[in-house]
Amino acid sequence: MKRLLPLLAALVPAFAQAEGISGNLVLYTSQPNTDAQQTVDAFKTKYPGVNVTFVRDGTPKILAKLSAEFEAGQPQADVLLIADSVTMEGLKKDGRLLAHEKADVSAYPAGTHDPQKFWFATKLITTGIAYNTKASFKPSSWLDLTRPEVKGQLVMPSPLSSGAALIHAATLTGHLAGGWKYYEDLKANGAVAGGGNGDVLKQVAGGQRLYGVIVDYMPIREKAKGAPIEFVFPKEGVSAVTEPVAILKTAKNPEAARAFVDFLISKEGQELALKQGYIAAHPTVALPAGYPPREQIKVMGFDAAKALADETENKAAFADIFGQ
Amino acid sequence: MRHRTTNKPFLERGGFGLLAFVALVVFAFEILPALRLLLTALAPGGNPDPAKALAALSGRSALKAAQATLETAFFSTLLAVPLGTAMALALGITDMRGRRPASFLFVLSVMISPQVIALAFLHLAGPASPILNTLSLAPEAGSANPMLGRGGIILVLGLHHAPLVYVVMSAGLKRIPLAVVEAARVDGARPLSIVIDHALPLLRPHLLGAGLLAFVAGIGNFGIPALLGTPVNYLTLPVLIYRRLSSFGTGMLGDVAALGLLVAAIAILCVAVSQILTHRGEVLLEEDAPLQPFWHLGRARATAEVFVASVIALVLILPMLSLVTAALVPSYGMPLNLGTITLDNFAEVLTRQDATMRAFANSLAYAGSAAGLLAVLAIPMAYTLVRLAGPARIPMTAVLETSYVLPGIVLAIACILLFLKPLPLIGLSLYATPSIILFAYLARFLAVVLKPVLAGMAQIDVAQEEAAALDGAGLTRRLIDVVLPSLLPAAVAGGLMAFLLAFSELTVSALLWSAGTETIGVVLYSLEEAGLASQSSAVAVVIVAVVTLAMLALHALGRYLPAGTLPWHCPTEGTAFAAGEPVRADPNAEAPRPAGARPALTV
Repeated sequence: MKRLLPLLAALVPAFAQAEGISGNLVLYTSQPNTDAQQTVDAFKTKYPGVNVTFVRDGTPKILAKLSAEFEAGQPQADVLLIADSVTMEGLKKDGRLLAHEKADVSAYPAGTHDPQKFWFATKLITTGIAYNTKASFKPSSWLDLTRPEVKGQLVMPSPLSSGAALIHAATLTGHLAGGWKYYEDLKANGAVAGGGNGDVLKQVAGGQRLYGVIVDYMPIREKAKGAPIEFVFPKEGVSAVTEPVAILKTAKNPEAARAFVDFLISKEGQELALKQGYIAAHPTVALPAGYPPREQIKVMGFDAAKALADETENKAAFADIFGQ
Repeated sequence: MRHRTTNKPFLERGGFGLLAFVALVVFAFEILPALRLLLTALAPGGNPDPAKALAALSGRSALKAAQATLETAFFSTLLAVPLGTAMALALGITDMRGRRPASFLFVLSVMISPQVIALAFLHLAGPASPILNTLSLAPEAGSANPMLGRGGIILVLGLHHAPLVYVVMSAGLKRIPLAVVEAARVDGARPLSIVIDHALPLLRPHLLGAGLLAFVAGIGNFGIPALLGTPVNYLTLPVLIYRRLSSFGTGMLGDVAALGLLVAAIAILCVAVSQILTHRGEVLLEEDAPLQPFWHLGRARATAEVFVASVIALVLILPMLSLVTAALVPSYGMPLNLGTITLDNFAEVLTRQDATMRAFANSLAYAGSAAGLLAVLAIPMAYTLVRLAGPARIPMTAVLETSYVLPGIVLAIACILLFLKPLPLIGLSLYATPSIILFAYLARFLAVVLKPVLAGMAQIDVAQEEAAALDGAGLTRRLIDVVLPSLLPAAVAGGLMAFLLAFSELTVSALLWSAGTETIGVVLYSLEEAGLASQSSAVAVVIVAVVTLAMLALHALGRYLPAGTLPWHCPTEGTAFAAGEPVRADPNAEAPRPAGARPALTV
């Protein structure tokens, strides 16, 4: 294959950019397996010489694995594609990331990516409320989840399992009056928080609990397949993560890693995100079916620096309330 | 006394090398990981700090998890023991039909890995159950899945471990001399009173031993509480250990080592007591024929058959049906009908997802190489332990014995501790390579492979070897010409058994996998956690197919194996009743093992 590749590249103009890029690329990602595989497959049709292996897990678990590998002196990953920029900021601070100066971000508004090009947002994943279509009460506000109609019926992802859930907790406690008191109220109302977003999806779509706090694309996508689930953007707004991508300083194949990042933030890569049912980061890419128009999605802002500083404290506060 | 005289010449001809080799294997795979764990738990960072270990053990979540572990293990044992014992009696002493297939299927259910069983039960109940939805019997939306949480874990653990009890009780039944039953019959005792007055008292040590084993299996189980407890935040110690380490990273190693040590201590204590009890309870004398089915059920036969069939339906058929239906619907929570049925989930996991396909290949490779290596290792090891080790045999087998019952998660931590930093002197790093998983499999399943080989070795007459030695055959020659041919079937059987258990395990690889080295157990868990329940069911169905095939292969090997090697082995149907009254067993078919040469491993 290696010897054939330059030949093919010379013959087929479409492969011209793949020239010289080959070898192994290891991706650590929090995307669900199917999406990660589709992303890898799309990348590989453009760069057939690159052999991509990926590891999928929740963001906190990916980071734990990575930290063990740092300690063992042999980080495996070349590229990280994980839930949130706060985690990326932490890695950047620790000097673990490699800047990709040549990345073309001209199509994106300022603030989408890291100004020093250490990480790049790939999509917008919001966290809102999902309910089973058999539920008679339809929540429209975060505060609705503390009402008696929802008692014993709410399930949430735990920040110990999900990066989006950690940002969500930081955002909500910053926005709602009373801060962590809101989570105390949820706990008092019988809410459980055990696993990740996947668990929430299963329990709500499966009707074991009627309400869930969850990332948008999961219920919207399963609804399209026929699952009895609805997603609501609450009136106060939603929290959001941007699923950034970054290259590790220790990457064994930085060239392929750069190509992978370029692919994700290219129009083509962003169209793939749309096809998978995500809100693409690229401002001119349309929204997938099932979402309100871009301008109607109200995203609650949050203080990233504070979230980074409070990361451990927030995890502990949540774990304390929900007994983890 | 005979041992003394035969041991010496063997040792003089190169036996020391073999003995040293076995000692090295035991040290590398069993003692070294345990020492490393002990060191980190008691002296994190090199300085003894028992206060820190104590703090880790007395935290609120640790205490909660310890309670959850003990209560699920205890109550599931209360379910497993009567169920397994009833099955052992029904299949061991009655004339009901279909005893062999029933025994095979019952034991098959424990060979399917716990997380697959947990997944099946999870999808069996609750408002999302594809089966219940298809039958329009699903409970109302908003009702919790009864499988989630304490009750579900107890039920599934109990059902899953009942076959373990069955295996121990069946072995116990076979050790009751037939003469005991015959004497009682002469006195005019009815079968039921023979069971109550004669058999059960003799079985009491086995009953306690089986109960303790089910309890230990419950303590160390990871797959069932991970799938059924995590979503509702009901965590047992192995799950808490996994969660701490996987969510917070290696900074937690000291804490989790302490927790792991606690789990290990409980497990070792229970196994030690169980070993003492079952050893003390041996009643079969050398000259006695073992127990054969003696209970003519008459009209009650149909009832017994319905009971056995229902148990098998409950532990195996129903969960498997649930997996298949869950794998055939497009999305979790939908009913299965002509309009919704799809093979897309199978296509997705078997043809589109690199990770799943690679995981199947990895699991085949890791489980296969571990099984092969262990089968090769087991022959010289069994030889050494039986012929050469002398008094050293007892501590060595005890160490080997405990390794299998140690919770897998504890072994995984020990491996991380051993191999996280590059190895001293050679500078080689095993962390994040397939070697660390292979090492863990070798350590974990050595005892499983060794068991049948030891049983076979005990049956080789030393005279055969002495004759070869007189002809001038050295140790190597004798091993190859005399020992190897006799032990080969047992080694293959042991290897297959290890393959069966390693192929879909999750407990060990959950903490040890990395990019490109994921096992199929890990992929199943990951799919389930990512919310892709239909796809994880598809993976589970494929796993069950592979495990069933491996078990059928093992079954086909059965007749070449020493008696008692296959845990589902049943007395041949019909023979015991040929003349309308109990017939003495054919001594060749079911020969009692020579005294003192009983296989040391009973798990």
